[in-house]
Amino acid sequence: MTIARALRAPLSALVLLGLSSAASLVVTSAAQAQAFPNKPVRLVLPYSPGGIIDYVGRTMAQALTGALGQPVVAENRPGAGGITGTDSVARSPADGYTLVLMDPAIVINPTLQPSMPYDLFKQLKTVSIISSSPEVVVVAPELPIKSISDLIAYGKANPGKLNFASAGIGTTPHLAGELFQQRTGVVATHIPYKSIGQSYPDMMSNKVQFAFSSIAGALPFTTDNRVRVIATTGKTRSPVYPDAPTVDEAGLKGFEVDLWLGIFAPAATPAEAMDKLNGAMQTVLKDPEVLKALAKVGVEPRGTTSAEGEAFLKAEFGKWKKVIEDGNIKEN
Amino acid sequence: MMDVFSNIWLGLTVAVTLKNLAYCLIGSFLGTVVGVLPGIGPVTTVAMLMPISFTLEPTSALIMLAGIYYGAQYGGSTTAILINIPGEASSVVTSLDGHQMARQGRAGPALGIAALGSFFAGTVATFVIAFGAPPLAKLALQFGPAEYFSLMLCGLVAAVVLARGSIIKAIAMVLLGLVFGLSGSDVNSGVRRFTYGFQGLADGIEFVALSMAIYGVAEVIVNLEKKVDENASTAPVGSVWPSWADIRYCIPTVLRGTALGSVLGVLPGGGALLASFSAYTLEKKVAKAPRNFGHGDIRGVAAPESANNAGAQTSFIPMLTLGIPSNPTMALMIGALMVHGITPGPRVMTDRPELFWGIVASMWIGNLLLVVLNLPMVGIWVRLLRTPYRLMFPAIVGFCCIGAYTVNANVTDIVVMAFITLFGYICLKLDCEPAPLILGFVLGPLMEENLRRGLLISRGDPMIFLNTPISLGFLIAAALLLLVVAAPAIRRKREEALVE
Amino acid sequence: MKPLIRAPKDFWSGVMFLAFAALTLVTASGYSMGRGGRMGPGYFPTMLGWLLALLGAILVIRSFAITGEAIEKIKFRPLLALLGCVLFFAVTINPLGLVISLTITTFLCAFAGDEVRVGEALALSLGLTLFSLVIFVFALGLPLPVWPSL
Repeated sequence: MTIARALRAPLSALVLLGLSSAASLVVTSAAQAQAFPNKPVRLVLPYSPGGIIDYVGRTMAQALTGALGQPVVAENRPGAGGITGTDSVARSPADGYTLVLMDPAIVINPTLQPSMPYDLFKQLKTVSIISSSPEVVVVAPELPIKSISDLIAYGKANPGKLNFASAGIGTTPHLAGELFQQRTGVVATHIPYKSIGQSYPDMMSNKVQFAFSSIAGALPFTTDNRVRVIATTGKTRSPVYPDAPTVDEAGLKGFEVDLWLGIFAPAATPAEAMDKLNGAMQTVLKDPEVLKALAKVGVEPRGTTSAEGEAFLKAEFGKWKKVIEDGNIKEN
Repeated sequence: MMDVFSNIWLGLTVAVTLKNLAYCLIGSFLGTVVGVLPGIGPVTTVAMLMPISFTLEPTSALIMLAGIYYGAQYGGSTTAILINIPGEASSVVTSLDGHQMARQGRAGPALGIAALGSFFAGTVATFVIAFGAPPLAKLALQFGPAEYFSLMLCGLVAAVVLARGSIIKAIAMVLLGLVFGLSGSDVNSGVRRFTYGFQGLADGIEFVALSMAIYGVAEVIVNLEKKVDENASTAPVGSVWPSWADIRYCIPTVLRGTALGSVLGVLPGGGALLASFSAYTLEKKVAKAPRNFGHGDIRGVAAPESANNAGAQTSFIPMLTLGIPSNPTMALMIGALMVHGITPGPRVMTDRPELFWGIVASMWIGNLLLVVLNLPMVGIWVRLLRTPYRLMFPAIVGFCCIGAYTVNANVTDIVVMAFITLFGYICLKLDCEPAPLILGFVLGPLMEENLRRGLLISRGDPMIFLNTPISLGFLIAAALLLLVVAAPAIRRKREEALVE
Repeated sequence: MKPLIRAPKDFWSGVMFLAFAALTLVTASGYSMGRGGRMGPGYFPTMLGWLLALLGAILVIRSFAITGEAIEKIKFRPLLALLGCVLFFAVTINPLGLVISLTITTFLCAFAGDEVRVGEALALSLGLTLFSLVIFVFALGLPLPVWPSL
C-alpha cells in the first residue's frame, strides 16, 4: 500500500467534515424560485449525541441527501427529554426545511409534563413514521426466570422483592414496566437510571431484577448471556432475538411496546413539501444500505404515509395517556 | 506472561500500519485542537466524526475516536495553564498550580511537565490495561449504588483539601456546588428542580458556562482591577523546558498520580475526574513542602495531569471489556462499535484480539505523537502569553461567549454565564475558592442519584451503605480524611485563642 | 474602639452562604420530601440548605470574634463593562448573527480596561471575529448564526 493511498481515507474524512459544514452555510436566495427543496434541509435530533436517534438520524440524513438532491444536515439540539429540540422545530418557519426526528417521548411528554411550550397536534405534523423497534425483556441471570410466566409467578410469590430499571421517569422502558404491572398485577419497584445502559451492572449483580430495554442497550450484555432475554415486545419476533417469543405469544395478549421513530415538520408545511419529503423517506427506507445500517441496531424500517402516521401518533398518545393515568404516574 | 507480550506485539503490528498511524495522528491532533478551543469538547467532535467512522474499518475508526478523546484531555490542560480556563472538569485541578506557574513566567515548564507526565502515565496505563484488564473489569462490577455514593462522599471531602484558605469556606463552597448541581431534571422523580421556569435550565446549569464564568470572565474582571504591570503579560518568560531538577522533583509525584489514576479511571462515572483531584490531594498530604501547592508548584501540575491521563486510558477497560460506558464519549464509542457489528463485552478480547490490542497499542503511540506534536508548540504558546493583557482579555471574553453558546446552541447558557460571573467575582473578592465548588457541582448529582437509588433498592434501609466492605471502606476513609483536614485548622485556632 | 465586624471577608461570605441557603430552602419547600425508602426530590436540597445555613452562620458569628482581612476596593468599571458585554452577546447573537454581535462585543469589551486604544480595539475585534468565523463556523461547522436573520 502506498503512502498516498493510505492517507487518502483519513484526509477525505477531514475534507468531508469541512464540506458538510460548508454546505450547511450555502445561501441560495437566487434559487428560491425553484421547486422544493432548493436549499439544505435541517434534521433536528433532540437528544445528545450517541444512542439510537443520533445513529438513525445521521443515517437517514445521509440517505435523504441523495434522494432529495439537497444536503440534509443532522443537528443535535438536546435538552429537557427532547422538548427543547422539538419545540425549536415547532416554532420554525413551516417551509419543509426544518424537521425533527423523535421517539415515543413526543406523545408521552404532553401527558406527563405539567406545561408544554408547544401543542403537539396543533403545531407539528407527521411526515412519516420511519421505523419500529421492539423492547427486550431482560432479567438478572441468577434468578430462575426463563419466561414471562416465570417472571409473573416469581413476582407474585415474592412480593416486594422485584425491582425494574428504566432510563428515567416517563421513558418507554418505565411505562412498559408500568403497563406490565397493570396487566399482570405484579408489583415491582421502579429504579430510574440516566440511561438503560447504566442499569446493567446492577442487573448482573441482581440488585435490579428486570427491565424493558432497547435492543441497542441490551446487545452488549445479551450476546454472552450476562443477562437473560426472556421476550421481546413487538408484534412479531425480532430478527435480532429470533429465539425469544413476543410477550403476546408468551400469554399477555396484545401487550405491545414499540420504540418507533418518526420525522415531524411544523404543522403548516405546504402539501407539496410534505409529499416530496414523504416520498424521499419511503424511497430511502427501501435502500439496502439503509436497511443494513438500521438492522445493526435492531431497527426495522416502516415508512408510513403522513396520514397513517398521524393516526398512529394519536393511537400511541391515547395508549400511553391511559397507562400514565391508570398508574397515577406524575413527576414527583 | 508471554501471552501479554505476544498480545502487545499483535497490537503493535495492527497500530503501526501506515493507515492506522495516520488515523491515530488525525485523532490526537483533532483532539488537541478541540481541547484547546472553548465550547467544543471530545463528545461533540466524536459525534461529528461518527458518520465518517462508519465507512472505516472498526479498528481504524476506534483508533481515531480514541485519539480525539485523550488528545482533548491534553489540549484542555493547555488552556488551563495558559489562560486559566479549564475546558474539562478534570483540568480544573491543573489550573490551580499550572496557571500560577504561567504567571510566574514558568508556563513552559508547566506545559512540558504536563506533556511528559501524561506520556509516562499513558505508557504505564497501557501496560495496566494489558495485564490488568480482566481483574480491573471485575472491580468495576463490584460498584453498585452504595459504593458509588460512598466514593463520591469521599471525593467531596477530598475536594476540601484543594482549598488554600479557610476550611469552613471550602466546605461551604462544596455544599454550594452541590446546590448548583441540583438544578435541572431530577433523575429519580423527573421533577424539574431549581429551574425557576426557564426551559433552558431543564438540564441544569451547563458546566462549560459555569467554569468559563468563574475561571474566564470573573478572573478577567479581577485582573483588570489590578494595576497593568501586575498581570501575567509582563512576567519574565523563563526557560521553555522543565529542567532536570524539575523532572527529578516530579518523579515520585508522577508515579503516585499514575497509580491512583489507573485505578480510579476504571470506575464508571466520575472516575477520570476523581483521579485528577484525588492525586492532587494525595500529593498535598504526602509530599514535602506542601505549602507551595496552589502557588505554582510544578508537582501540582504533574500530579493531576498524570492521574488524569492514566484514568482517561483505563476508562477504556469497562467499555471494551464490559460494554459499560464510563462517560459520554465512551457511550459514543460503544455506538461506533455496534454499528460495525461488534458488541463490546468480555468476548471482544477473545473474538477480536486485533481490535482490542490494536486500540491499546495505538493509545501508547498516540501519547507519543502528542508529546512530539506538542513539545515544539510549547515555545509558541509561551510567546503567545507575552501578548499585552489589553489584547488578551477581550479575546478571552469573546471565546467564553462563543463557548457558552455553542455547547447547546442555547442563549440561556450565556445569560447563566453572566450571572455566575457576578457570583464568581464576589467569591474571588471574598477569598472563597471556586475549585471545591466545581467539584461539588460535578459530583453532587451523581452522589444524590446513587444515594436515592441505594435507598430505593434497600427499601429505605441505610445499612446498605455499611454492609459492603468497599462502601464501608470509603466511608471510613472519608471520615479519616475529614479529621486530617480539620485537625491542623483546629489546632491553629486553639493556638490563636491561647495567644490572645 | 474596635469595629463590630472584625473579619469583613468572612462576614460577607457568611451572608452570601446564608442567602443561598435561604433561597435553596425556600425553593426546596416546593418539592416533595418523599416517604419511607423513597426519598423525594426535596429531601437532599433541604439537607444541603440547612448545612449551608449552619456554615454561613458560623462564618458570620466568627467574624465578630476573629480579626481577618478587609475586602479590597471594588472597581465598577471592569465589572459592569464585562457583565454588559456578555449580556449584549446573549441578546444579539440570534438576531444579529456572529459577525456583527461578536465584533461589537469584543470591541466594547476592550473599554473595560484602563488602557484603551480605539484603533487597536477595532482591529482586534475584527481579527477575532474573522478567526472565530473560520474556526468555529467553517472548519468545525458549529451551528452558529452568522448573519442577521430577517
